[in-house]
Amino acid sequence: MTGLVRFDRVSVAVQGRTILRALSFDIREGEKAVFKGKSGSGKSTVLKTLLGVYPVADGEVRFAGRPLDRDTVSAIRACAAYIGQEPVLGADTVREALLLPFGFKAHRGKAPSTGRLAEILGRLGLAPLILEQHCSRISGGEKQRIAVARAQLLGKRLYLLDEVTSALDPESKRAVQDFFSDPALTVLSVAHDPDWIARCDTVFELQDGRLTAAG
Amino acid sequence: MMDTVDISPTRMMLLYGIAVLPWLLLWSAGLHLARELWLSIVRMSVQLALVGIYLKYLFAINAPALNVLWIVVMLVVADFTILRRAGLRIRHFFLSTLAAIVAGTAFSVAYLLLLVIRPEPIYDARYLVPLAGMILGNCLQGNVIGLERFYSAIRKNENEYLTYLLLGATRREAVRPYFREALKASVNPTLASMATLGLVSLPGMMTGQILGGSEPWVAVKYQIAIMLCIFASMSLAAVLNLSLSLRFAFDEFDVLREAVFRRH
Repeated sequence: MTGLVRFDRVSVAVQGRTILRALSFDIREGEKAVFKGKSGSGKSTVLKTLLGVYPVADGEVRFAGRPLDRDTVSAIRACAAYIGQEPVLGADTVREALLLPFGFKAHRGKAPSTGRLAEILGRLGLAPLILEQHCSRISGGEKQRIAVARAQLLGKRLYLLDEVTSALDPESKRAVQDFFSDPALTVLSVAHDPDWIARCDTVFELQDGRLTAAG
Repeated sequence: MMDTVDISPTRMMLLYGIAVLPWLLLWSAGLHLARELWLSIVRMSVQLALVGIYLKYLFAINAPALNVLWIVVMLVVADFTILRRAGLRIRHFFLSTLAAIVAGTAFSVAYLLLLVIRPEPIYDARYLVPLAGMILGNCLQGNVIGLERFYSAIRKNENEYLTYLLLGATRREAVRPYFREALKASVNPTLASMATLGLVSLPGMMTGQILGGSEPWVAVKYQIAIMLCIFASMSLAAVLNLSLSLRFAFDEFDVLREAVFRRH
């Protein structure tokens, strides 16, 4: 396994307030890492900094050995999926949500067949009937699995997960956890959920934007 | 043509008295707006008096360069007003907004004067200045709503916008839902006003023309012309303004710059 994400003494300030302070860590390909800590400790900022949302004030972020410039951020966004507690589906029905990226220039003409959609949904424990359901009428757990299915259709390998299991019932949680145990997927997550934390390879603890424990 | 009844200074004083009743009502409802209300009335009166004096000479001289200069002043003031009211920083959007309102206003005014009304001379201040002013005034409202809605929606829906980028959208593709909503919000008031014009209210321009002695039928035709031109110029300016502003509002990673918003 090779180093995929490296934060080297990274400091980040958002609207004049320092959120991350000299933060350093490495994530290998296929690793499942989780950041835990009180709210406001900077956990979500780590994920968004990697996506280029917050500028790095000091230190360096590297992805696959390359510094964080426009090309690297494009490369990260091409292989990463960001899924929060209430994922954005951006469409009326589940089918439209799954096909949304294929309306963008980058994926035009590559829309998957209904058979392929059903196969991906099946792997996440969802029946094909859900395709015609309205996104506003499905549960939080289903929304998360649909966001994951959409990421799968795009061949995403790096998952940035922000409290994905906190609102799930035990069955949905198990389905999501099993899915992410795939060794081909790299996971950088933020969680409070002890079950999720127990299944991760590496646990980082943040306090006031500083790393206080790793293991 | 009939002569319009002039309003004497005494009757003008009486006119200001009409504001006393609403002020008392607002005051009794706990709204202490006396300062804002009287300041607005004084500002309006002084501004209009100055414009009245200026227009008197502008119409008398009727030189194309002076007419255009007056419109340029209106455009620059409108640019500042749009950005201030939309809560955006002037230095980021001054040029994009100016380009949009110049294009929107010039298109409609040129269309109206060159193809429809055709006054002699074509730059006649009596037509050019009030028509440009009315069109620009409405352009201003639409652009304030459009810009404010567009950027506050992207800011509020940061995760949604980011999700679109991660799904492979370009910056333009990722802002499309907010672009659509902002445009809808900016043209809706004009659409609603066109649909009810004459039923719910008699429009200001038409009323002014009738009071000024025009035949009602002529006033109606001018009102239709101005409404269509307002709609055309506002839509064109809003589309251009939002499109051009995209270049200045985002950083190299397609993230909306926080610095574009004015601090309150």
